[in-house]
Amino acid sequence: MNKRLLQQVVRLVLVFAGINVIWYLAFLLMNHPILPSPLTVYRAMFELGAGNIALNVGYSLMRIFAGVAVALVLGLLVGLLMGRSPLWNRLLDPVVYLTYPVPKIALLPVVMLFFGLGETSKILMIMLILLFQVIISVRDGVKAIPASTYDVLTSIGANAAQKFWNVTLPGALSVILSTIRISLGTAISVLFFTEIYGTEHGMGFFIMDAWLRLDYPEMYAGIMLFSLVGFVLFLLVDLLDYKFMKWRNQ
Amino acid sequence: MSSSKTNVNSSGLCVKDLQVEYNNGQPALGKVNFILPEHGIYTVIGPSGSGKSTLLRAVAGLLPDYAGQLLFNGKAVQDKETLIGLVPQNYGLLPWKTVRANIRTALRIARPAISDKQEVESRIQRWLTSMGISELAGRYPLSLSGGQQQRVAIARAFAIMPTILLLDEPFSALDAITREALQVLFLEHWLAHPVTALFVTHDVEEAILLGQQIIILPASKEETPDIVDNRAVFGMKHEDKRSSEDFFEQTKRIRKVMREKW
Ligand SMILES: Nc1ncnc2c1ncn2[C@@H]1O[C@H](COP(=O)(O)OP(=O)(O)OP(=O)(O)O)[C@@H](O)[C@H]1O
Ligand SMILES: [Mg+2]
Repeated sequence: MNKRLLQQVVRLVLVFAGINVIWYLAFLLMNHPILPSPLTVYRAMFELGAGNIALNVGYSLMRIFAGVAVALVLGLLVGLLMGRSPLWNRLLDPVVYLTYPVPKIALLPVVMLFFGLGETSKILMIMLILLFQVIISVRDGVKAIPASTYDVLTSIGANAAQKFWNVTLPGALSVILSTIRISLGTAISVLFFTEIYGTEHGMGFFIMDAWLRLDYPEMYAGIMLFSLVGFVLFLLVDLLDYKFMKWRNQ
Repeated sequence: MSSSKTNVNSSGLCVKDLQVEYNNGQPALGKVNFILPEHGIYTVIGPSGSGKSTLLRAVAGLLPDYAGQLLFNGKAVQDKETLIGLVPQNYGLLPWKTVRANIRTALRIARPAISDKQEVESRIQRWLTSMGISELAGRYPLSLSGGQQQRVAIARAFAIMPTILLLDEPFSALDAITREALQVLFLEHWLAHPVTALFVTHDVEEAILLGQQIIILPASKEETPDIVDNRAVFGMKHEDKRSSEDFFEQTKRIRKVMREKW
């Protein structure tokens, strides 16, 4: 296990180094201020200072976490309802079916009209992106649990909450995790758009601000940091997957 | 103590005119009548599809719909006070929990009164050890063989000390030697703590070795099940049973019923 982990890390480091080499070559070839050398960018990143970075990264992370958390709670509730009760499934299925294909990013202006430019609409957008995916995957995940999985707990008199924690949630967790993994990319892109407006903090704002000031090294530094945020989030989902899906991989 | 007449008021598990149909309208279990006295053990045999599992599922309260009555000591079986331990045919282990956690979960739900963690863990350990699977405690069910999963399911059912124990072919996935060892172990445990038990099996010998009475379900849902009194063999010392005359007679009698009704 440890050896495989080490190999994985080595591979990642090699790819990262490779990207930097290509970047450097491109910089040499272009020889233009719109593409600074990696060294300049890392120096600019260094000069930003930990406090500044932490503030912007922190704001972005906070928005993502809040959006994901709300989407998970709501999606879990609705998905569970639809997965466990045929009546609710019949009622809600057309709603989900009709709203699912609506490109949520197109709702950005609407959300901003209704909820202003503040935190609410930023978190709401991320939530909207994730919500429908979570609902659908939870519903299908719950439906896919064989009814007999509940038998022993039912026969010893388990209540609904005990069945939820011991069977439904762990049974649907793998689909939930893969949905989060897939939608996280979209959520991060949307975060970028929402952070262009009405905020002084966050990675989106930081990148756009540097761009408008024509401070290209800082702009690239921002892009690098933003990517790092995404990478850390993916790593987190992988970690959760490793912890909770052990039973499948043993 | 005649078992042919079903009196609703008697003590023990009373199954009266039980009939089950699943959603498709086909009968899954014909009319079944018997009284299993408290602290008694009956075995159930029958051909595949005769409704053995259905009978257990009805008693376990897993069927929303059935005709007839299911009473334990005069009260509905589904009553909160009657704790039911089930060993399902598919073992019923939660794949996302380790062996130990599977038993712990059942114990926590069935016996919330045992709040002492140490007590819970030692109970789990005791049952795993007696089933000979203590080294599997940290493994997940998907990585276990069928026989190992079966023993975990049995350990779990024993650990909660149920009022009624329902076993659906609990030894079917075991090799002959392990099977015989577990039959002995099971019987010893049952003699020490005689829990009211229904034991489903495919195996005629097992039915004779472990049941005070043997319920033989017919292939046809129209016919009534035969109930064979087996107290003579059951009363013997376990190691003497197989070689006894009674055992031989009993085997012949049951095979005859099987030839006629299966
Ligand atoms: N969930 C279900 N829905 C519809 N029919 C069912 C269901 N479960 C069982 N049956 C039917 O009920 C009848 C009895 O099934 P049951 O599982 O009780 O048989 P069994 O005696 O346990 O068989 P086996 O020895 O193969 O385990 C069968 O005809 C089966 O097809
Ligand atoms: Mg069966």
